[in-house]
Amino acid sequence: MDDLLSLKQSFLAEIDTVSEIAELQQLKAKYTGRKGLVTAQMKALSSVPPQQKPAFGKAVNELRDFVDQTLDQKEILFRDVEKQKRLLSERIDITLPGKPCLPGKTHPLNKVLDEIKDIFVSMGFSIQEGPEIELDYYNFEALNIPKHHPARDMQDTFYVSDDVVLRTHTSPVQVRVMEKKKPPLKIIAPGKVYRCDADVSHTPMFHQVEGLMVDTDVSFSDLKGVLGLFIHSFFGDETPVRFRPSYFPFTEPSAEVDIGCIFCAGKGCRVCKTTGWLEVMGCGMVNPKVFEMSGYNPDEFTGFAFGMGVERLTMLKYAIDDIRLFYENDLRFLRQF
Amino acid sequence: MRVSLDWIKDFLDVTASPEDVAHRLTMAGLEVEGMEKIGDDVVMEVNVTPNRPDCLNVYGLAREVAALYRLPLKSPETRVSPDLQPSDIQVSIDAPDLCARYTGRSVVSVTVRNSPDWLKRRLEKCGIRTINNVVDVTSYVMLELGHPLHAFDTAKLAGRKIRVATAGSDLNMTTLDGVERDIPGETLLIWDSASPVAVAGIMGGEGSSVTEATKDIFLESAYFEPASIRKSSKALGLRSESSYRFERGTDRVFLEAALNRAALLIAELAGGRICEMVDNYPVPYTSVGITVSYARINALIGIPIEKEEVLGLLESIGIRTEEKGEEFVAWPPPFRGDISTPVDIIEEVVRCYGYDRVPARPPRATLSDGLLNAAERTVHAIRESIRKGGFNEVVNFSFMNMADLDLLSIESHEHEHRRKHVILKNPLRQEECLMRTTLMPALVNNFVYNLSRGNRDVRLFEVSRVFIDWGKQLPAEGLRLAGLYFREIQPSLWKDSVPAFYGVKGVLESLFEEIRFNNYTFVPSREVFLHPGKSADIYCGGFKMGYIGEIGPQVIEKLSLKTQKPEVIVFEVDLDRVLTLLEQKIVYHQIPRYPSIERDVALVLDEQIAAAEVLALFREYPSGILSQVELFDHYKGKNLPENTKSLGIRLTYRSKDRTLSEDEVEPVHMALVEHVAKKTGAKIRGTA
Repeated sequence: MDDLLSLKQSFLAEIDTVSEIAELQQLKAKYTGRKGLVTAQMKALSSVPPQQKPAFGKAVNELRDFVDQTLDQKEILFRDVEKQKRLLSERIDITLPGKPCLPGKTHPLNKVLDEIKDIFVSMGFSIQEGPEIELDYYNFEALNIPKHHPARDMQDTFYVSDDVVLRTHTSPVQVRVMEKKKPPLKIIAPGKVYRCDADVSHTPMFHQVEGLMVDTDVSFSDLKGVLGLFIHSFFGDETPVRFRPSYFPFTEPSAEVDIGCIFCAGKGCRVCKTTGWLEVMGCGMVNPKVFEMSGYNPDEFTGFAFGMGVERLTMLKYAIDDIRLFYENDLRFLRQF
Repeated sequence: MRVSLDWIKDFLDVTASPEDVAHRLTMAGLEVEGMEKIGDDVVMEVNVTPNRPDCLNVYGLAREVAALYRLPLKSPETRVSPDLQPSDIQVSIDAPDLCARYTGRSVVSVTVRNSPDWLKRRLEKCGIRTINNVVDVTSYVMLELGHPLHAFDTAKLAGRKIRVATAGSDLNMTTLDGVERDIPGETLLIWDSASPVAVAGIMGGEGSSVTEATKDIFLESAYFEPASIRKSSKALGLRSESSYRFERGTDRVFLEAALNRAALLIAELAGGRICEMVDNYPVPYTSVGITVSYARINALIGIPIEKEEVLGLLESIGIRTEEKGEEFVAWPPPFRGDISTPVDIIEEVVRCYGYDRVPARPPRATLSDGLLNAAERTVHAIRESIRKGGFNEVVNFSFMNMADLDLLSIESHEHEHRRKHVILKNPLRQEECLMRTTLMPALVNNFVYNLSRGNRDVRLFEVSRVFIDWGKQLPAEGLRLAGLYFREIQPSLWKDSVPAFYGVKGVLESLFEEIRFNNYTFVPSREVFLHPGKSADIYCGGFKMGYIGEIGPQVIEKLSLKTQKPEVIVFEVDLDRVLTLLEQKIVYHQIPRYPSIERDVALVLDEQIAAAEVLALFREYPSGILSQVELFDHYKGKNLPENTKSLGIRLTYRSKDRTLSEDEVEPVHMALVEHVAKKTGAKIRGTA
C-alpha cells in the first residue's frame, strides 16, 4: 500500500512538469500502459495475501482511475491551449480592404423620378404613359392650344411633320387617358419631353411628371392640399409653399407653385433672383374645354392637373448648378448619387 | 415687359413701396421677375402671360395696381377739340374678317426732329430705340396705352387712299428695316391707291415711312384679327412690338383713345394741325354677358365666398355684374378679350380673392389603383438588378445621326429596323437630326467621353425608348436596355480572373433570373460591329431579344482611344419583347424527398462544339432519373490534344419516389455518358 501512495506522489510530481500532449502520452504509458507502473501493481495483486486482496485491489483500481482522469483532464487543457495557439496563428490582417463588389448608381434624374412616383403612388395615384412622338392634336389642340395661338410660343417645338411633334410636355397623356377611362381618375404621367432650345439653363430633352385628378367634386382646395403634401414630402415639412395665379391654356384657374428658396431660406439670393421664392411647378383646374374634347361632361366633373420639371427638382434637391451635367454622364458625377 | 413705376404713377397715386407693388402684382398673376433702380425710378420686368395682352402697357398695369390697392385710376388725356379740318385720306376695308376697325387721323405741317429728353428717357428705360418725335410718339402711346399705331408720310400715299386688303398673290415689298421680303398671298397689307405701304399690324413699308423731310402724316390705329397677324408674322419670320400685341388681341373700342392721345402728343411735340378722324368700323364690338352660378364658383374653389364679395371683386377689375338670385351675369370690359366663359369669370374671382386665402384640403382617402403596374415594377427590377451588377445608370438624349449608325456599320436593308429612323424637321444640331433607333451609339459616346476624362472603369447602362418608323403616322416606341462594360486592367489586391464577356453575361443571366425570363438561348451573333468570335444574339421563342459581345476591332480603331487594345463588352435587350414573355405565375414544386446521387464526368472534345450543345444532349437523353446537369469545368491547353477542350460536367440523379441505389444509377450513368461521347466524338477523360 505504501508503494501505491509513493506511486501516486511520483505521478503527481511528474505530471506537473509535463508541458505537451506527447509527454502526457509517455506518462500514460509509464503508469497505466501495458507495461506501466500501475499496471504492474495490478498484476502484482495475485501475490498479495488473500486477506489484503480486496483492500489492495480497490486501492490499485482507484489509483489507476485517478491517473487516467488526471491525464485526461490535462489533455483537454492542453488541447484547448493548442487550439488557441492554432487559431492565433491563423490570424489575418483585417485591415486589408475587402474585395469590392460595389453596385452602380441610379441616375439622379431617375432617382428623383422614382421618389416622385413613390410619393404620388402612396397618395393613390397610378402611373400612366404616352408616346414621346405625339400628334399635334394631343400635344396642343386637345389641350386648348389651337394652331395659331400665342401660347404655342411658350414651347418651342420639334416637328416630325406638320401633324406630328416631339411632345413638348407630358400633358397629352391627360387627354389620352381621359379618352379611354371614365372618372374618378388619379394619375401621374412621368416621361421625357422635348423643346428646341438649348442654352445654359435648357436642354432639348428633359423630364416632366404630369398629374391629373378628376372626380365629381375636386376643387382648387384639393389641388392645394395634394401638391402641398407632395412638396412637404419631397423638400421637407418646413418648406414654405405658395400658389400664385398664372396661365396655361388647359387649366383655369391656373397657378404656379413656388417654394421658399432652399438656398437662402427666403432671404433672397442669386438662385431665386432675390425674390426668396423658387418656381417648382405649374398647375390648375382642368379647363372645361379640355374635358369636352376628351369626352367628359364639364358640368358633371371637375379636376386638377399639374406638371413639374424633374431636372429642376433634382437640381434643387442636390444643389446641382448646371443642367448639362445630367446628360454628360461623367462617372465622377454619376457616382455621387 | 419692362415698365417704369414712375410712368405708372401718371395714372394713380400709389404710395406703397416698389417691393410691395411687385409682390402684389406677382400674387395677382403678373409676375415681377426683376426690378432695376434707375435714378429715382424703378423699372420692373413683368412676365405677362399670353392671356393678358391688356397688361402689356403702363395703363393696363396701372389699372391692376389700382384694383389691388383700391385706388382711383386717372384717365389719359385723349380729348381732341372739335372743329377740325376734314380728313384728307380715304379709308376702305376689303377684308373686314381680318380688320374689324380702321381709324386714322392726319396731322399736317409737322416738324420732324428729335424727341424731347423726357420722352426719350421713358422709351429707353423700356428698351425701345428712339428715332424721331413722330415715330417715338407712336411707340410711346403703344407702351402707355397698349395699342400699336403706325405713322405714314401722307405725301407718299398715292391717291391719298388707304385700302386694307390681302396681298392676293405673292409679291415683294421692302419693310422699314430695309429688308426686301417675299410676301405670301394671304398676308394682310395696307395699300395706297397703287401699291402696298405696310404689312398690316407687323411693320410699315420703307417707301411710306416718316423721315426728317416729312411734312404731313397720317396716323393709323386699327384692329387686326390676332390669328391672321400671327400666321403672317410666322410666315415672314418677322416679329415686332406691334405684331406681339396684335396677335394677343387688342381693344377695338379703346384704339380711338390711343389714336387721339398720339395725335395730341404729336401736335404738342412736332407742331401741326390735327384733322378729323376717319373711322371705318365694319365689325363693331359687342359685349356678351356671361352667366355664372355662385354654387359653381364655390364648388370649383372648394370654399364658399360671399355673394357680395364675388361681385365686389369683379367690379374692382372693371367687370360689370348683374345679380340674378343664385346666379349673376358678368359683362367683361372690351380690353378683357380673354374672358368669354364662366370659368374665365371664376378664375378672376379666385385671382382677386387671393390663392393664399383658399385653404389646402388634405388628400382624401380613396380606394384606388394607386400601384405601379406589373411592367413598371419589372422595369424597376431590371434597373436595380443591372445596377447591383456594378453598372451605373446614364440618361442620354433621344437623338442620333447617320454617323452613329455608320460607326457601328448598321446595314441598310429592308429588315434592319435600326435604319428606319424618324427624321426631325427642325433639329437644333445636325448631330441630333434623327430619333434613336438603338441606345448603343450613345453608350459608346459616353464611354469615349469618360475614358478621355480619365475614368478607367466604365460600366454604364441605360433604359430608354427607341423610335422605329413603321410607316404609320406615329412611329413605334420600344423600350430598350443597353449596357457597356470596360475596365482597364489595374494592379489589384484581389485577383478576379473572370473574362469580361462572361462577367457581363452573368449579370444579364442574373437579371433574367430575377425577372423570371426563361427559355432563352445564346447563339453566335450576326451583329457586324461585334467581334465575330466573342458575341452572341439572345433568342427566345424564335425572336431575337438582343445581343451581347465585345465591340469589334474595326469599330474600336475608329474611336481612337487612349488605351491599349480595349476590351469593351456591350449588350442591348428589347425589353418590350422580354416583358411579354415573363413567367408571371409562381407554382410551388415539392422539395425532393429522397437523396440524390452525383456523378462527375470529364469529356475531351473538339473545341468548336458548344458547351450548350453537350449539356443539351445530356438533358434530352431519356434516362428517367437525371435531374440536373451542371458544367463545372472548362479547360483548354496543356495535356490536351490541339484544338480540343475538356468539359467537366456534374450529373445529379434523383427519383421522386424512392432512394436510388448506386447499382441502379451506375448503368444509366455509363450509358448516358457513352451516348453523349458518341454523339460528340468526345473521349471520356474520367468519370467518378
